[in-house]
Amino acid sequence: MAVKIVTDGSSDIPKEVAEELDITVVPLTVVFGDEAYLDGVDITADEFYSRIVDTTVWPTTASPSIGQFAEVYNKLAEETDEIVAVLLSTKYSPCYEYGARATELVNKKARVEVIDSTFGASPLGLIAITAAKAAKAGASLDEVVDVVNRTIPKTHILFFFDTLKYLEKGGRIGKAKALMGALLRAKPLVAIENGETFPVGRVRSHREGLERLYKFASEFESIAEMAIEHTNVPEEAAGLAERLSPVFPKEKIYMSRISPVVGSHLGPYAIGVAVVEG
Amino acid sequence: MERIDKCSGEMLRGMFVAATRWLEKNAAVINSLNVFPVPDGDTGTNMLLTLRATTDEAQRARDNTAAAVADAMAKGALMGARGNSGVILSQIVRGIAQGLKGKDSFSPPEFADALVEASFHAYNGVSNPVEGTILTVIRDAANAARETALADGCDMISVLDTAVEMAKESVARTPTLLDVLREAGVVDAGGQGLYVMLEGALHYLKGETSENGTCDDDMVLQAPVVAGSGDEMEWGYCTEFLIKGSDFDVNAIRENICSMGQSVLVVGDEDVVKVHVHTFDPGAVLSYAGSLGTMHDLKIDNMQDQHREFIAVKDKDAAPADGISIVAVVSGEGLSEVFRSIGCSIIVPGGQTMNPSVEELLRAVASAPSDEVIILPNNPNILLTARQAQSLADKKVVVVGQTIPQGIAALLAFQPGEDLDANAHAMEEACASVRTAEVTNAMRSTQLNGVRINQGQTIGFIDGQFVAAGDDRLGVVVALIDKMDLEEGSLVTIYWGADSDQGEVDSMVHYLNDHYHGLEIEIVEGKQPHYNYIISVE
Repeated sequence: MAVKIVTDGSSDIPKEVAEELDITVVPLTVVFGDEAYLDGVDITADEFYSRIVDTTVWPTTASPSIGQFAEVYNKLAEETDEIVAVLLSTKYSPCYEYGARATELVNKKARVEVIDSTFGASPLGLIAITAAKAAKAGASLDEVVDVVNRTIPKTHILFFFDTLKYLEKGGRIGKAKALMGALLRAKPLVAIENGETFPVGRVRSHREGLERLYKFASEFESIAEMAIEHTNVPEEAAGLAERLSPVFPKEKIYMSRISPVVGSHLGPYAIGVAVVEG
Repeated sequence: MERIDKCSGEMLRGMFVAATRWLEKNAAVINSLNVFPVPDGDTGTNMLLTLRATTDEAQRARDNTAAAVADAMAKGALMGARGNSGVILSQIVRGIAQGLKGKDSFSPPEFADALVEASFHAYNGVSNPVEGTILTVIRDAANAARETALADGCDMISVLDTAVEMAKESVARTPTLLDVLREAGVVDAGGQGLYVMLEGALHYLKGETSENGTCDDDMVLQAPVVAGSGDEMEWGYCTEFLIKGSDFDVNAIRENICSMGQSVLVVGDEDVVKVHVHTFDPGAVLSYAGSLGTMHDLKIDNMQDQHREFIAVKDKDAAPADGISIVAVVSGEGLSEVFRSIGCSIIVPGGQTMNPSVEELLRAVASAPSDEVIILPNNPNILLTARQAQSLADKKVVVVGQTIPQGIAALLAFQPGEDLDANAHAMEEACASVRTAEVTNAMRSTQLNGVRINQGQTIGFIDGQFVAAGDDRLGVVVALIDKMDLEEGSLVTIYWGADSDQGEVDSMVHYLNDHYHGLEIEIVEGKQPHYNYIISVE
């Protein structure tokens, strides 16, 4: 029986990839005022991004409940007795805590290992994908856990977006707070380090921001996995993939949409590149 | 007239006080005759302020020997130096002090030797000496003084008299040596300032007061272009390190390093010497330095592709800089706010016509709450002063950028978590990606690059190079914009000055939108003096 991989909806894994690699994605919730939407289920990315541009109501996000995790674990336990859940950084969300507590509610005798990925968004996605590939190749639960633990320090992300105000309002600004307050256009570049948002720099134009993303991804000596994700700028994401194709085969790059739950913290114009070193 | 065969420290001080008075009377003339029609007519003011600091310190000499007075003046000049001309003047004073070392008083030949020493120091203080400037004038004057001093029957007055005469001739020759002067039909202002000073000193020796003599007005033709604006080598490796040891001969080291590259800066004392050089062959520099003592803080940057390489073994795990402060020279309320908002810790007010002194910069560096400081001079005229502050500061200091937009780009590239070297590198790189256009009014009529410019006309520069002039300000701005190689995706930032109007800014934005596609445009109310507009493209 193969090990089953679980992650949460902040991982931005494209649906078809999750299906192919047999990854179960537990959705988070996006809330506009008193309307709650299961991310990717009740609201699409397109609907969401057009809405945050127009709305005056600030979206908030909510972790999956303990019950949601328990339901997923129990369903998987029908088919397997080994489950690994790789979840959103504890500094962003109680996801990991709920995912861990849900293990107590598993009816069947199944071993569930829950790991704090220290990431969110596509780097979390790449870690889950790496775990799923190992599981598919026949790795045991302990081996999958080992793969995840070894992948985390080799995972890197750089995001570029328009404004820090969404990160700040959403309370996920972390150390990037240092970049706030500029009296002229200064678009932030942020990474995730040690589980939280970390400032990498500021640029003055989109072109320069894209250039920085390109440089970031092209400077790794060896790349095992790469993902490019964006909120609503598909041409720029595709252009970046094209430019990076000498660095990493274009067809192997996971192209995805930044999910509403992540996008609500980044704002309407955001693009990021995630890399797992080889 | 009495013969003077010996000069005391008291007399040396008197000569400098008179030189200061003379310069005071002529500073405005020197300022107003600025060759570049940009209103940076501050050569006279800078020299005067430097000289005042020099004579102030002379009053605090430990005794009245010539050596002590000269030493005190050298210290005062070094601390008070403002602008390029001021920094060179401070080197001249330092050279005189060097020449008078250990002397209670001095004879005419000793005085001539001190002037020669001053000339050496002046040349040595500038990384890329340009002829047709104050440098040429001090050398010519010193050589003439020495020749007279060798003759029988000379005295202080005859020696200085020859020096003054030669300085005057030398100033008149500067346009034949420096194209920018010739084209504008002016003489070098720094050289003119030095000539005025020497004449002041001569009047003192002759027992005349400043009230009964003025400098020849017909002599004062025009003032200068930025002296020392020579092209720097833009390739090779920027190599920097400290050598520690004992009994160093700083001059010998400088001479050797100079033969190995350009932009040479060698400062220090017998025990520790700081070396900065742009060279094609850092290996040769290092093996030479290694033969002298132990090397520290070694840093080598490839300047051509801006790709930094460390030759020194740099301990990656060394504790990160526990804080770097940024000092920026900025004028204009709006621009100051912008600099503050993006992380500048200390603003030193100043700019094109208001060059801060070395001392002001040193004070800012000292008051910065960290041991490492980055200075953003934001103006080519302040670069030398900033470098001087860098070499004198107790803290580790780097100097980055030469224009306001470069300073802003550098500041945005600053990363608090990174160390000083990595930041300096990233900030230099950011500066390289910015082009700066400046729009101002001609302070006087002149000719630039073959173009006749009338007083009051709008003139425009790109990266310090004159590009366009005319009565129609918008027309000049458009001409600049068209020459800035705008491409899709470029960011154009317009910093509008204290004397500009919103309507004109709107017209510029319309022009940009109509003629270029896919630009990002940002308007910032800089409220800067003198420049109607500073426009950057990145």
